[in-house]
Amino acid sequence: MTWFDELRTSALVGTVRHEAPAPPPELGVLAPVGLSREEFLLDQAAMADVVRRSSRTASMPTDAFRITPAPVDSKTEATGEAARLLELLLHQPPVGLGLRNQLVADWLFLAAESRRRVPHRQLPALFLLAANDAAVYRALNPAIGTRGLWLQDVSPSWSPRSGPAQDNGGSGTGTAPGPAEPDATAREQLTSDWSSLSARARLSLLKIVGTGVRPDDEDLLERGLDDKAKGVREMAAELLNQLPRSARARRMGARLAPLLTVKGLLNKRFDIDLPPDPDAATLRDGIAPVPRNGEPDRLARLDTIILGAPLDVWITASGKSAEATASMLKEEPRILAVLATVAAGRNNLEWVRALLTVSSDARLLHCLPVAERERWLERHIRHGVDEPLSLASLLRELPQPWSGSLAEAVLKIIAGKDGGRLASVLADVLPTALPAESTQACRRLLDRTDDDTARRRVLRDAVQYQSFKQSLTEAFR
Amino acid sequence: MGRWSEERVISAAPDSSSLAAARKLAHPGPWSESGSNDVLVWGKCQGSGKTPYQVSVDVVAPAYRCSCPSRKFPCKHALALLLLWARGEAAEAGAEAAGFAQEWAAQRADRATAKEQRQSGQPADPEAQAKRLAARLALMDAGIADFSRWLTDVARTGLAAARQQPYSWWDGVAARLVDAQLPGLAEQVREMASEVNARADWADHLLVNVGRWWALTKAWSQRDSLAPGEFADLRAALGWATASSDVQGKESLPGPWLVLGAHRSDDGRLQQQRTWLRSPEGTVVVVLDFASQGQSLATPQLAGALLNTTVARYPGSAPQRAMFTSPVEPQGTAAGLGDGGTIATALLQESAAVAASPWRIRHPVLLGNVTVSPEDAGWILDGDGQALPLLDAPLDSLLALTGGHAVSMFGELEDGHFRPLTVVVNEKVVTP
Repeated sequence: MTWFDELRTSALVGTVRHEAPAPPPELGVLAPVGLSREEFLLDQAAMADVVRRSSRTASMPTDAFRITPAPVDSKTEATGEAARLLELLLHQPPVGLGLRNQLVADWLFLAAESRRRVPHRQLPALFLLAANDAAVYRALNPAIGTRGLWLQDVSPSWSPRSGPAQDNGGSGTGTAPGPAEPDATAREQLTSDWSSLSARARLSLLKIVGTGVRPDDEDLLERGLDDKAKGVREMAAELLNQLPRSARARRMGARLAPLLTVKGLLNKRFDIDLPPDPDAATLRDGIAPVPRNGEPDRLARLDTIILGAPLDVWITASGKSAEATASMLKEEPRILAVLATVAAGRNNLEWVRALLTVSSDARLLHCLPVAERERWLERHIRHGVDEPLSLASLLRELPQPWSGSLAEAVLKIIAGKDGGRLASVLADVLPTALPAESTQACRRLLDRTDDDTARRRVLRDAVQYQSFKQSLTEAFR
Repeated sequence: MGRWSEERVISAAPDSSSLAAARKLAHPGPWSESGSNDVLVWGKCQGSGKTPYQVSVDVVAPAYRCSCPSRKFPCKHALALLLLWARGEAAEAGAEAAGFAQEWAAQRADRATAKEQRQSGQPADPEAQAKRLAARLALMDAGIADFSRWLTDVARTGLAAARQQPYSWWDGVAARLVDAQLPGLAEQVREMASEVNARADWADHLLVNVGRWWALTKAWSQRDSLAPGEFADLRAALGWATASSDVQGKESLPGPWLVLGAHRSDDGRLQQQRTWLRSPEGTVVVVLDFASQGQSLATPQLAGALLNTTVARYPGSAPQRAMFTSPVEPQGTAAGLGDGGTIATALLQESAAVAASPWRIRHPVLLGNVTVSPEDAGWILDGDGQALPLLDAPLDSLLALTGGHAVSMFGELEDGHFRPLTVVVNEKVVTP
């Protein structure tokens, strides 16, 4: 135990219990005589203070302390007005936080386009923002340059997980991302080890296969229909619903066809019977058995059959096109909803378009190419087919910026008597969704007398966003 | 006085939210009766109430007045008015000052005159002054004696028992020290109340501080035998301030003074700013600024700036506290801070400084060829392979600026740690 350790012990418990040690001879200090125990300890504490401070030594670091320096940045640093605007956005944003984040993302895209990079000193503030905002996070590369990538590697406060998960919504390329590449290993494992795998493992592997189910999975899925575990059987049936040319689909089609009858002379419509009680083969295909107690849910059985059957069964029954067939089901909202599930699940564009003439189901709309989706929404907004507020969620999910004509249609609704409500609902997306050419229209609307503060705020945000974005574009020229 | 730049206005803002609020008001719409002259900028801002707020700003010796109830200082109205004036969008020069602005300026002038008279006036009665000094010394003697007794009590009952005491126990001791006109000591005791609970090394920290306090009491009792410089250091440690008027005319060291770095802190009651300067001859001094809540600190000097000004040093050992004795005029920036030393040299300098003044806990050092390591809370490593842990360091900012390459760094050695204040990157002195 060193002198200082002993001194600490005495000081901690007090001189009542433990006397302070004598000063170490190497200090060459003679303790004064006649001191009380307390004074003796305090004197030495005073000495310890100056001894420690005047004899400090540096640490000898281990190799873990050393980091490889950042390679030289190949891109030119953004300077002048571009750098000033980024600093302003990061430290003293002149707009609301939502718009600020979008403008920072815009700055990063523009920098990347002009092969310039974020000034090094702004990287920490930028990373802090990116950790809380997916749009900024996605836009970081390549504008952060070599130093930014290096900093992500060495900084203890940055980890890939500290960024928010990438979402698929919002702006981007405009097409919904396709399903992930199905895992070939999962397929292989199921084929070779089906009987030796646990039910839970079979189910999880089937789910992986389901991320990109394809026609040659049919045998595997048919095997799943015979599985001991209910969960596996249900999953196999659900995945087979996506394969309209499979044997199960044909079996389901054969069950559906006799249930469909066309009635009416001028105004033709479907008369749909409910399915009979299931036999063994029907049960195997996933139709609910007769319950032990109570009445069977025969409507649910019908839904299961429709979900599994090819859509052509309906065309054969009606003898008409898909669109005309869909229109014969106008009075059958439940059937339309199930058919929307089928058409969207199989990405059958003919039926998606047909069903969209009688339904505004978001799942159907998402199957359409972006331009067509925009046109559909624009048509509905202009013709007042649906209540504008009911379309708000569809508008929010559109890639940004919108086309000029869609923006014009939306602004027309917003400028109308009750447009403030739609403006409020779209407040967080409208400023970035409106294209630059809509700015003048927003300015005109702002200039007129209006007591609706929510509407004014949204329009003002849209104008602010566009004018700041214009400044960014000019700064990078 | 020239028109302020927008950056100057921004630097006067107490926080970013005030500035953001001010930007929203910084358009001519809500303003009326605005104007400016060489000293004042004034205007009326229509707020939510019926009566517009009356805003006056003294732009020479920055001071702000607004009739709004905001506790921010300066408030958003004063900042907005200054922004408009800086941009030339309002408060044009030449108008006769509005009544409320004139009245405020007159009140300020009266107060300043009275203060000046108090400070520069001949001591009315040397005898009374000596009596006041004797009374103060007696008060301090009694306070030191009381504090010594408290320290011996702590030594008797032990540091572990002291740690169990509530905050009010420490605060009571600090209050008695304030009453005895020993505010510097009081502040240290008050800080210890939270440090004994917050620090992992609380036992060592409390032990050496108790030792330092004890040494202060002993030094005070032998103050008559101390050299003037030693006594000045002791005075500073106890918190007995030296009046600036005693320093003002003493000397006038010419510049240009290089701003090595600065540090700002705010403990909720008091804001402090330390600005380290170096003369062409290599003399290092520190200018201290204080402001209580509701007041704004002196405008910070840009790191690396060369200041055309003169300074006078307070008594004490080097590096001394100093004050500006002439207007500060920036005259460009330096491309570097000069040759930095190694960590070992810096520690030797600290050792020598402790020997000269055992009360000083902070030492300025310029290190050369050091790299930043993100290990723990951050370290600096020098070319000799030695390392020091960082203190209050914006680690990400240091890493981003240096990229892990060797740079020169100026900062403060404190409690075995290095607090980085400036970094030299690409021939620029920057604040991390």
